[in-house]
Amino acid sequence: MTAALIGFALVLILVLLRIPIVFSMGLVGTFGIVWERGGDLLSERGMKAAMSVVGRQITDTAQDYGLSVVPLFILMGLFVNKGGMARELYAVSNAFLGHFRGGIAMATVAACGGFSAICGSSLATAATMSKVAMPEMRRYGYSDELSTASIAAGGTLGILIPPSVILVIYGLLTETSIGKLFMAGIIPGALGIFFYLLAVRYTVWRKPDSGPAGERSGWDVRIKALGSVWAVLLLFFLVIGGLYGAFDFAPLNLTFSPTEAAGMGAMGAFLIALFRGGLTVKSTFEVLRETSFTAASLFAVLIGAQIFSNFVNLAGLPEALINLVTVWDVSPFMVILMILGIYIILGCVFESLSMLLLTVPIFFPLVTSLGFDPIWFGIVVVVVTEISLITPPVGLNVFILKGVVGDVSTATIFKGVTPFWIADIFRLALIVLIPWLVLVLPEQMGAMGH
Amino acid sequence: ADYTLTISSWAPPTHGINARMWPTFVEMVEEATDGQVTAELKMGLAPPPAQMDLIQDGAADVSIIFHGYQPGRFVATKLIELPGYEGSAEAASVAYWRTHEAHLAAANEHRGVKLIALHTHGPAQLHSSTPVTEMSEIAGLKVRIPGGVGGDVGAALGATGIQVPAPKVYETLASNAADGVVMPMESRRGFKLTEVAQNVYELPGGLYRGSFAFIMNEDTFADLPEDLQQKLEDEVFGEPLSRALGAIWDEIDTVGREATLTTEGNAINAASEADLAQFADITTAVTASVLEELSAAGIDAAAAHEMVKSEMAAN
Amino acid sequence: MKPVISAIRWLSPFPVVLACLALFALMTMTFFDVVLRSVFNSPIEAATELTRILMAIVVFSVLPQVSAQAGHIAVDLMDSLFFRWRLHNIRDGLGYVLCGALMYWPAQRIWILAERWRDYGDVTEYLAIPQFYIGWFIALSVALSGIVMVGTGLLTLFAPRLLERA
Ligand code: NA
Ligand code: NA
Repeated sequence: MTAALIGFALVLILVLLRIPIVFSMGLVGTFGIVWERGGDLLSERGMKAAMSVVGRQITDTAQDYGLSVVPLFILMGLFVNKGGMARELYAVSNAFLGHFRGGIAMATVAACGGFSAICGSSLATAATMSKVAMPEMRRYGYSDELSTASIAAGGTLGILIPPSVILVIYGLLTETSIGKLFMAGIIPGALGIFFYLLAVRYTVWRKPDSGPAGERSGWDVRIKALGSVWAVLLLFFLVIGGLYGAFDFAPLNLTFSPTEAAGMGAMGAFLIALFRGGLTVKSTFEVLRETSFTAASLFAVLIGAQIFSNFVNLAGLPEALINLVTVWDVSPFMVILMILGIYIILGCVFESLSMLLLTVPIFFPLVTSLGFDPIWFGIVVVVVTEISLITPPVGLNVFILKGVVGDVSTATIFKGVTPFWIADIFRLALIVLIPWLVLVLPEQMGAMGH
Repeated sequence: ADYTLTISSWAPPTHGINARMWPTFVEMVEEATDGQVTAELKMGLAPPPAQMDLIQDGAADVSIIFHGYQPGRFVATKLIELPGYEGSAEAASVAYWRTHEAHLAAANEHRGVKLIALHTHGPAQLHSSTPVTEMSEIAGLKVRIPGGVGGDVGAALGATGIQVPAPKVYETLASNAADGVVMPMESRRGFKLTEVAQNVYELPGGLYRGSFAFIMNEDTFADLPEDLQQKLEDEVFGEPLSRALGAIWDEIDTVGREATLTTEGNAINAASEADLAQFADITTAVTASVLEELSAAGIDAAAAHEMVKSEMAAN
Repeated sequence: MKPVISAIRWLSPFPVVLACLALFALMTMTFFDVVLRSVFNSPIEAATELTRILMAIVVFSVLPQVSAQAGHIAVDLMDSLFFRWRLHNIRDGLGYVLCGALMYWPAQRIWILAERWRDYGDVTEYLAIPQFYIGWFIALSVALSGIVMVGTGLLTLFAPRLLERA
């Protein structure tokens, strides 16, 4: 256990020195395995064992069939961008919400939620929506605080509302059903939209001039806008409906595995973008290239995490934690509270994926041994990682906004994000106290599958 | 204990392999060595096909491998996978070890690691969502079968093979991506097939038997004092362990069968006499080609085949 | 040094194109697998193993470039400190050289594993594609990643100007 804790501390130090996560975790993990298997840090036998683990992790992770969803969902998100669907989503939510006070920010949150339903990444959701929604909010005189914060926070929904790359990775790390995890994310995601809308209301209530009302759209405009989001609805229905069994009737009898859903979604988004004239050979290659690069860096991080997790496993940390909890007789609920506390602290510094990779191998065995549902824990973990994306000092979604918008300080965005952050904490509490919110849909799914 | 071996296991935590077989292994090792040697279980270190590399390089000391997960590497092990042997997994495992000693070891397919047991699961049957009562209904079904003999038999029956790792079987069946799966009876409980594949089509010797080995790192074994090595060789490794593991497969098969009989909507359909005769015909070609492969690997295939049959009949 | 760098830049699109084609093939194959399965009841039997191979091609074709272009995910919490003290080049350079040099061992081990798979005759299930080809490819990619990282690191340390694009 001591070895594992020292290893954990070393990883933190290396990561803070800006050594890429794959090398921080991979290096510490490797020497940890040398230590565990060879008895000292330089033994030849330990080195051979560790290198065997490293070599196999590199070759196996990149060939893990279950992980093929990752590049495919990334690909889908990028094709969706080319298809102009973000703009349509925004237009429709604006047509319905824009005339309220703070309405354009509310429309932004709603559009973020909608975009999350066809994009698996929070960063991509935030980046896309900031290009679409930011100019509009500026045009209507929205404060920078409110406009950037509503996009940064709304964007976090990308990894909770299915599809979600992070849920896929959690599913693979823990051998939990990805389909059920996706279903489980829907209600908490909807709650997220609702709470963020409240956060917008709160902000404009405190500072009325931060979000003036826009023009009221007539029903003709609204219906026209609704008519244009068919592509988004179609894609969402194809992917999530396919996973959920919506096409499971004769003669199709078609239900998707996660990989198939991702492949169909990517192909669907590709075809839509193609027919709408959003794609050239060059831009298609650009999308494929970006996906490959993102996938490669994601897989590299995963490999590093797996090596580290093998070390933690060999060092017996999960068993030791379970023992501690038994010996100290801590109540399961206290354990969950402590874990959440750790997550919120880690969330200050880490971005979503590294946090997940670093902690799940350690906490998951403990949490399940206490009788908590693996699916529920997955959603809890994703919600806390969402929070980490807007928690200072390192909040990636905030940085994305800063990157896209440019002339606004991160301090301003973080300030604007505060009500949204508090809304997140409320949502987290709700999910922890009422697991039903998470579990009702996946259980339904089990019942529907025959 | 003076020596603690690290076991690497890839099966799901509650599966009989982890719940029953490894504890039995530890018990046998401790008993034979008066507690001087013990072992602890580590799950999820690596996927199944990586296990042999990990053991060979000493990333763990002991592991279980399923030969079908490494196509091309194991040929001799296909002998025990053939359909047509009737009898329990225990009988098959004992016969398997003895035949290995006499014939199969010549192929030296486990080179690089120390082989400490060979065993098979019970006869693998077809589990499907729609009832299969006649063998002809198998043609056209999309069926998950692991590679090797199982795949060949499935193909001979006209089924379409689907590749899915075992932990994904439930999802695959629930989502209708496959119509059925060929697995031993224990999976009805272990993989919750009672929920997603309510029907069993049963042949006495199954469509095939999956072949497993327990393997150990050679250096780890060599580092043990000679007296402990001797005790392990005499009382645990080889036939005693193979027999014990086979017996556990039989036990967990019984649990799966009971789960089926007590679950509403589940049915076990035994193959008719006519179907059995037809099955024997259909699988002759599969058997012949496997025996040919064995011969090419330098094994007296006909003698080995006879030996398995007579050992199983005797047990 | 300059001609070497421009040669590498000239060559770098080729593996990327390979990755793009593999990814596009993966998407198309998954699509047709579903269509064939549901409409014609005949899935692509080898889809799983082809998926695995295509993924390996996607990831390992671009890995050297991801490694050389600071493409690995890192936490930049302390960046402003390093910038303020003008230590960022030294930190990045040392990081590249160290991490790149360490790739020697995994590359070597993957090569050994691949040779082992060749010796045992490991192949894929349906198409009987020898596993060691994939192993070779991965070993090569990892080795190349190490080399370009060491190169990038040395240039960052001693000649950062050369890394700037003309
Ligand atoms: Na999403
Ligand atoms: Na943060």
